[in-house]
Amino acid sequence: MSYMVMECHPGYVILLDEAGRFFKAANLQYEVGQTVYDPILMKDKAKEQRHPAVKWICSGTAAIAACFLLFFGFSYYRDYIQPYSSIYLTINPEVQMNLNRQGTVVELVGTNDDGKRLLDGYDGKGKDKITVADELIDRAIEMGFLSEGGQISFSIDSPDDVLFQEYGVELRTKVAEYLDGRITITLEIFDYQNSQAGNEQDTSAASSAQSTQPNADASNTTDYDDTDYGSDNNNVSSNPKAPSGNATSRIEASANNSTTDYHDGDTDYAPQDEEDTNYEEDDDDDDEQNDDD
Amino acid sequence: MSDEHKIIQQVYRAKENIQEADWLIGTYMPFIKAETAKYLKRPPIEGHDDELSIAMIAFHEAINGYSRARGAFLKYASMLIRSRLIDYSRKERRHSHVISLDAPVGEEDTVFGEILADEKDFHEEAASRDATRAEIEELTQQMKVFDVSLSDVADNCPKQQRTLAACRRALQYASENTELLEELLRTKRLPIGRLSAGSGVERKTLERHRKYMIALMLIYTNGFEIIRGHLKQVLKGVAIR
Repeated sequence: MSYMVMECHPGYVILLDEAGRFFKAANLQYEVGQTVYDPILMKDKAKEQRHPAVKWICSGTAAIAACFLLFFGFSYYRDYIQPYSSIYLTINPEVQMNLNRQGTVVELVGTNDDGKRLLDGYDGKGKDKITVADELIDRAIEMGFLSEGGQISFSIDSPDDVLFQEYGVELRTKVAEYLDGRITITLEIFDYQNSQAGNEQDTSAASSAQSTQPNADASNTTDYDDTDYGSDNNNVSSNPKAPSGNATSRIEASANNSTTDYHDGDTDYAPQDEEDTNYEEDDDDDDEQNDDD
Repeated sequence: MSDEHKIIQQVYRAKENIQEADWLIGTYMPFIKAETAKYLKRPPIEGHDDELSIAMIAFHEAINGYSRARGAFLKYASMLIRSRLIDYSRKERRHSHVISLDAPVGEEDTVFGEILADEKDFHEEAASRDATRAEIEELTQQMKVFDVSLSDVADNCPKQQRTLAACRRALQYASENTELLEELLRTKRLPIGRLSAGSGVERKTLERHRKYMIALMLIYTNGFEIIRGHLKQVLKGVAIR
């Protein structure tokens, strides 16, 4: 862009560019009528400065707003976006549900090929864990992965026992309630960390013992008239909280086979299985079991 | 204290009046030279050191941009001069790899500029510059009739591209309808109503940039062929709605 020098002043010159714009520029020994190519143009007027107090208030407000934004942003991220716990749903397809602190699914991962097929075309992000579990079970039934007499395992990976118990009880009762009257399946609940740490061989026994934790309340309400012992054993849950019906918890199923040491020492209905749960150690369950006998 | 107030009054007068600004720059020339010398670490030579010209335009910027909230004027001007000199030295450093025409060549006392073929005809260039100068003087005289100076036009020139395009549309309309240019010369008034109606440019825009429009329309009357020849891009691709 070339500029024509139109007027010279002691401190500056007036230039006219090819686009018809007039500028003030530094007078680098220019003469009127000369054409120049790289002038130093005068900058536009600086904006009016604000009063210092106004500036201070504005910057203070902005800083406080930034702090609030940072705090709430972090809280929101921690509570709603960051994965806090996981539930592994295993039928044959295995699906990992990553949950936030609210128990809402933030991510679904198929951990085997069938799991990936099960999740194909399904979006459970933002839904509650129970809703996702129910919907995935429905899909598994539709796709032929789960049929009558099948088994579903929930392996809960949570940072503390309280959450594990809460999720365990909720999953067991809600899922059993959802499937009640539709299909007979076995529900298993594991503590993921413990099952990973040891005992790969005896998974079922270990998991049964652990899964009694979320079922602790439920076992207090045993229906004594409906015994699973003997020829009348219908393999149906006697726990009112885990609705009696077709959906059967592994917890009850394994209790049928367990060796039970009663305080009075009279009866041991399953003497063969020495490794099973020793109910004498579980204070909550002892009284009911004794009464049952 | 009273001196400080005097300077502030002079600065505020210089903001409004270009002669006052020129006078203030002349009066404070020793200050401008001192600030330049502080940066150069030697006294600047007038007519030789570009830094002095940069310092002078920075002083002019200080006059335009000063307000009482900024504190003492001379401190503000000093800061601005220093900033502009630093900007200039950075810009020059980018061209440091360019060989100077004064660079010596070989063992003899010849410089690089002397061995380059000079295709320019200095006589023709000087004649062309004289003709251009004569046109500019004529233009300045005609503008005086409208009470408009080139400094006023530079201050009144549109800054936004959209406004500039609107002014160009109005100019295009005037150049196609020469009776408007004749009316301008005859009545010594800008025919804003007809320009606005014909070109579709808002009347408010034309009123706001009246001085700029007068200067451009005068250039597009007869007698300013050299200046018009320089304005290659003004009417390029302008369409009237």
